Amino acid sequence: MLENERMNGRKGTRPERAYCKIVPGAPEPNAPVPSEKLSSCLSQSSAASEPNAPVASTEALLGDADLIYLYDGSLEGLLSAVFAAFARKEAPVNLAVKHNLQESLLCSSVFIDTDLVAADRVQAGIKRVLGSDTYEAVKQVFLSKNEHKGGVILRYLRHGFKRGRWFYTQLAHPVVSEFTAVQRVVINEAHYLRQFVRFAQLESGLYFARIQPKASVVPLIMDHFADRFNVQPFIIYDARHQLAGIFDTERWWLTDASQIQTPALSAEEDNFQALWQTFFDTITIEERRNPRCQRSFMPKRFWGNLCEQIPPQLRRRHPQTPTQIVQVLNELH
Amino acid sequence: MEMLDKLTILADAAKYDVACTSCGVDRKAKKGQLGSTTRAGICHSFSADGRCITLLKVLLSNACSYDCAYCVNRRSNDVPRATFSARELAELTIGFYRRNYIEGLFLSSGVLRNPDYTTERMCEAIALLRDEYGFRGYIHAKAIPGTSEELLIRLGVLADRMSINIEFPSAQSLNLLAPGKARQSIIQPMRFVRDGIKANYQDKRLSTVRRTRFAPAGQSTQMIIGASPESDFQILKLSASLYQTFEMRRVFFSAYIPVNTNPLLPPVREVPLLREHRLYQADWLMRFYGFDVTEVIDERHPYLDLQIDPKANWALNHIDEFPIEINRAPYESLLRIPGVGVRGASRIVMARRERRLRFEDLCRLNIILKRARYFITCNGVFAPDVIFDPLHIYEQLSRVTKQNQSNKFLKGQLSLFDASCVNNSDGIGSVSGQEQTAIRSGKFGLLETPAAVEQVASYAGK
Repeated sequence: MLENERMNGRKGTRPERAYCKIVPGAPEPNAPVPSEKLSSCLSQSSAASEPNAPVASTEALLGDADLIYLYDGSLEGLLSAVFAAFARKEAPVNLAVKHNLQESLLCSSVFIDTDLVAADRVQAGIKRVLGSDTYEAVKQVFLSKNEHKGGVILRYLRHGFKRGRWFYTQLAHPVVSEFTAVQRVVINEAHYLRQFVRFAQLESGLYFARIQPKASVVPLIMDHFADRFNVQPFIIYDARHQLAGIFDTERWWLTDASQIQTPALSAEEDNFQALWQTFFDTITIEERRNPRCQRSFMPKRFWGNLCEQIPPQLRRRHPQTPTQIVQVLNELH
Repeated sequence: MEMLDKLTILADAAKYDVACTSCGVDRKAKKGQLGSTTRAGICHSFSADGRCITLLKVLLSNACSYDCAYCVNRRSNDVPRATFSARELAELTIGFYRRNYIEGLFLSSGVLRNPDYTTERMCEAIALLRDEYGFRGYIHAKAIPGTSEELLIRLGVLADRMSINIEFPSAQSLNLLAPGKARQSIIQPMRFVRDGIKANYQDKRLSTVRRTRFAPAGQSTQMIIGASPESDFQILKLSASLYQTFEMRRVFFSAYIPVNTNPLLPPVREVPLLREHRLYQADWLMRFYGFDVTEVIDERHPYLDLQIDPKANWALNHIDEFPIEINRAPYESLLRIPGVGVRGASRIVMARRERRLRFEDLCRLNIILKRARYFITCNGVFAPDVIFDPLHIYEQLSRVTKQNQSNKFLKGQLSLFDASCVNNSDGIGSVSGQEQTAIRSGKFGLLETPAAVEQVASYAGK
């Protein structure tokens, strides 16, 4: 196939690790293979049910409506599946993560082995033919929790290789619009997190933030925070996807983090949280009170990790045990 | 005094300052220094009144030697007073910044002794942050009217954005309500800041980095709405001229909230939030949509329609320019469609290169058709169920307003009108008989109705 020929990039080279900066001197430099990390985070991610963006269902798009490719959940696996679709001249309706597939009588599924060389060729081909922005966009969509993202990416790339570099401006095309819809969710979520990450200082001087985003956006926000807070080591812990971004004032990297103990806070942390809560309460103009407006800018799902939204009865009593919290909540009701 | 109490007093005193933006300057992070800024700014929280919190907004001191009638910090008010030391303020800002609570600092102050002394204290606090703590975040500094030029330069070099509040939309109101501030003492520093910013760009001997050093994020100002009798027409006219002559980045409006009792101040039953909202909408039309102030409002209809937004109002008054054909119209015309914004218009232009757009394509572009559907055609066809009649559209759109605004937000907003002007009990979204007359007369400036004009006249007479 012509596309395959054109995607013939650097053969045999190691593919770029998705979002993982391999750091020689850093803790666990080689141990966590990113594909494993990302696959594990994905397998957990889709356990929770999130509404998925509708997938365009034009006849022409569907292709082999009864065929699904399976991959291991890593970006390399996904790219390998894309490669396979081109190589076998098939149009699977979706590329799904193996663990997540719900058996269906209507579909036949084929597992595609992750092939680093093939993944590398796909990556190089995307960058060369469609531009590196498109590759970045594919990576963003890959971080989404949408179950259909594999199919969305495959259709988007197929369309792109057919139409050429400027295909992404065809915003009204069903394939492009379904892709941008999924991408928009991820980008918006990343922006929310740039706003609503709250660090707390730990006893060791490290700054720690806990988040529960809709998409696994830690890789997208680490650059921003690592630049801005380059004088302080910090960890952003994504509790939902069990993924932690770690910055040691030199470099950042991702690591699997299924068990993180809630760490002890530093002495001055309570003080700063109390000051911030006071500021937050004071700045409100009572006459203008408009909670609906507040919620629309700052959705409630973030409030659990915002120290200014802790009700006053629960504040300034660190460290709290779950029983204490339940006690106070009971008093409230 | 405890830090917590100080913060409470000084944040409480600063909360009526509207400007809480961290935008306008892109400063990359630097190794070994804390902080960076992004051009679009980042809001880090939203208070219970729905306003964004992006900066630590405090006064350096609320011990003011002026006695402005509208101000909560006036000398004659019996409120607790506090003053931050430079070190306290820097520690607080850095502590908040490191925890990603804020984008930076907004520093204003009551007038301690005299303007020069106050500005010196402010410079000292900001210089400590910038030099000793190496802080590269955003700093918005308020210039105190009457400050000497040397100190203004110093402040402007330290801060990203400067602002001087114009306070009221006319010199008479200013004289009446803020006797300590002369109009000249406000205009003078504004002009000075503008020239300072201009000089940055013109002095070719400086490197680009140094050239943009004086207040790189420009200047802004704010005025109080509803405490003085000026009409929307006067207000928008003034803000347009502020954008032109002083090259303001923003002119903020602040709905008047009675904090003091003073016979000079009008009795306000409700905070004019909807009026403020409409003024901001008009402001956006002027800044991003290529509208001229004379298109948004004119002398014969000196108040913006509260029922529908200014853009829809303009469209209904220029109904002969509609419907706009999505597949043909130039970008500038697309921008004039109510409900289509800058992003929507550019998406349309991009997407229609590939295909002729239909209504379902517009949905794919994420364009909300709630308002736009009445004013557009796709391939020469209206959206289904659209009756292209201004009166009908007006009714539909005011219903949209009703749906959009929660009851709480709207209630009492129509207090500008006489009770007789409003037919139904909740006073929302209905079109009264008099308004209908106004609509039939072809113009949608609601306050042309006799009762309203009378009200404004009596208001102005006070």
